[in-house]
Amino acid sequence: MKKLFLSVFASVTALTAVAGGHDAFWKSAGQPYKGVTLQGVTENTPPGQFVSEVLAKDFEKLTGIKVRLETTSWDQMYDKAIKDMEANTGIYDFVYIEQDIIYSYLDRDFLVNISEGLAANPKLKAPNVDFADFTTFIDYFKNGEGDVFGVPMEAFIKVYLYRKDLFENTEAKAAFRARYGYGLEPAKTFGQYRDNAEFFTKFCADQGMDCWGTTVQGHTGHPASTYELLETIFPSFGVYNWGINMDNYQASVENGGQLNGGRAKAALRFWTGLLDFAPPEALQSTWSEVGASFAAGRAAQGWVYGENAAWIATDAERSRVVGNVGVSLPPTAEGVMMQAASGNGYIGYFDGGAFGIPHSSKNKEATMLWLQYLGQNEVQADWAIAGGRITHKATYSDPKVVAVDAKADAYFTLMRDTGYLFAGAPPYPFHGAGRAAIDPFIFKALAGELTPEEALDQAAAAVDELMKELGYAK
Amino acid sequence: MVGSKRIPWYLLSPTIVILLIVGLLPFIYVLIVSFYNWNPLGKSDEMTFIAGDNFRKLVFDEDFLLSVWRSIKYAFTTLFFEFIIGFLLALSLRESFPFRPFFRIVHTLPLVVAPIVVGSIFKLFTVSGFGPLPHFLKEWFGYSFNYGRDAEQAFWMIVFMDIWHWTPFVTLTLLAGLSALPKDPYESAKMDGANGIQIFFHITLPMMIPVLLVVVFIRLMDSLKAVDEIWMLTSGGPGVETRLAGIHIWRSVFESRFYGYGSAMSIFLLYITIVICWLLYVVMTSKQNESNA
Repeated sequence: MKKLFLSVFASVTALTAVAGGHDAFWKSAGQPYKGVTLQGVTENTPPGQFVSEVLAKDFEKLTGIKVRLETTSWDQMYDKAIKDMEANTGIYDFVYIEQDIIYSYLDRDFLVNISEGLAANPKLKAPNVDFADFTTFIDYFKNGEGDVFGVPMEAFIKVYLYRKDLFENTEAKAAFRARYGYGLEPAKTFGQYRDNAEFFTKFCADQGMDCWGTTVQGHTGHPASTYELLETIFPSFGVYNWGINMDNYQASVENGGQLNGGRAKAALRFWTGLLDFAPPEALQSTWSEVGASFAAGRAAQGWVYGENAAWIATDAERSRVVGNVGVSLPPTAEGVMMQAASGNGYIGYFDGGAFGIPHSSKNKEATMLWLQYLGQNEVQADWAIAGGRITHKATYSDPKVVAVDAKADAYFTLMRDTGYLFAGAPPYPFHGAGRAAIDPFIFKALAGELTPEEALDQAAAAVDELMKELGYAK
Repeated sequence: MVGSKRIPWYLLSPTIVILLIVGLLPFIYVLIVSFYNWNPLGKSDEMTFIAGDNFRKLVFDEDFLLSVWRSIKYAFTTLFFEFIIGFLLALSLRESFPFRPFFRIVHTLPLVVAPIVVGSIFKLFTVSGFGPLPHFLKEWFGYSFNYGRDAEQAFWMIVFMDIWHWTPFVTLTLLAGLSALPKDPYESAKMDGANGIQIFFHITLPMMIPVLLVVVFIRLMDSLKAVDEIWMLTSGGPGVETRLAGIHIWRSVFESRFYGYGSAMSIFLLYITIVICWLLYVVMTSKQNESNA
């Protein structure tokens, strides 16, 4: 008994000493920068809100360094950050870098090399932060030499969410079998997905429920819809890297690309066809509205960004479908899963981002401290629960995360075990321009102004033309 | 004596310096950039001098020209309705009736709302599935309203939003003009037996032309460069149906990073705006000259 007591006492003392030691580090390291205000900008998402409302305040209490984080819309965020970095005005000390834009930023030398900065100033190096603790997602933010340019703040996969209560409804199961001749279950193929969508649209209407068969991120004027097609639907049909040939940067089939190939056209036809079974708001929905629609119980299934999955499944104040959310891998075309498993393709979007320090920042050292504060293992669990994001390997086994995982139909486990099947955006330095060239044709296809075939033929021609103009076409 | 001649220049100099910095210098910069090929996302992010190539290109750029045409259509449609409604409201608010000050204040409220907020309000009001407008149109009239799909609805929605937001400006300006009109011509006209319509067309309207010119120019210039409200409501969709010139230029410059070409488009839009305003000026002042003669 005495031995047990002593060992417990020793463990508690050791843990307290470590924790206290870390507090002491932040206090002493932050001392020279006390009173400094760090200004940042990020997208208004659950992980961003947690940083702004919780972590920034905790950091200020410890170090005396104030952190002001603007959480704004996706387009505003980029607009502000890029203008600041281009003009070298130094308004922002840290900016959100989405995985897909990092290549443009590195190409344009916008960002501070954090690894080099910490190596040059060992006093700033937090003892409890090690970049090796991060998941492989951090690799997206490294250069060829392995130096880190962004500290990951969120990483998640875009998953297939479905309403368990609807899929397990006995009446629905019987009606589905009677109509389609096979059993109702979460979709693994696109045929199943379409049948489910059609069935639940009618089933919900018959039951007097405000519910439709599927979500569609189909805003007819916002890039969110292009992203859903290029990064979620295309890969699951076996069209990778936006259908652009990585060797010669051409998109049309005649020039070696796939953007207007048979698979791409089938993908767009399938996706726009889902609008018949989507809630009326689908054509005005970006990623945020899709999450909100699903949380409001207005869709039976859909592709939803993982940052929304945890709160939709567990937060009863914001979600009407708590306890009824099923999480699964998205449906794929034949052969795609095998390609992804062998590393020759991917089935969907691995999204996320990091905070980086612009060269124009006037408080680089204090910002390095702040970004390391966000990179501690200790802050990860609560952040993961609030934002459905995981950037550290150890977070998956944290008891708090494990408990939420159980309520969220093992979303975090799915991300850990199958994350390798997903991929971020291709490393295009022309990312924004490339996507903007495709946008109008996808918008027109969604609005019914162009057929999917016409839209992709015109989009491929526009991308080929753009690549010539930008000097990438070979 | 020489010193006293310089004093007005000393007094004006801060204003001139500020105007140079915030007005003329950016314009000169944009003008210079418009003669270059410059895209930081390109393989080479260097600025290359290409003389007038950007301007030559935009004359054949169907997407841009269509966006200019949409802007002109939008500007004249909004101007027409704002002008008619604004004039009627100004004439009404000039008369005395119970609670007139209250109505004047309420009527002015939209003016103090930021355009981005106006866009948000209209979005919440009109979004399919949640907004009250589509709900009641369907419920009461069986009319399906979804500006995410229907180009006509999207166009009229942005027109309506602009009318709601800016008609009070037209009313207030015209009201100020009406209040300043001399009373003698009206008294003479009444003594000569002129009726209300004759008085309006032969006295009020001709005397109001200077004020009308100001209103028309300001609203026309504003409408031709409209971005923020429309950005919030439709982002230029469905497809590109509400992608007016301002949004088209914004996307070219800040999404695709065509700084040189975007600058050329901006200069061209400015040129179009000046030409339209000048034509209107000529037409309206010639009417005034005719009536004076």
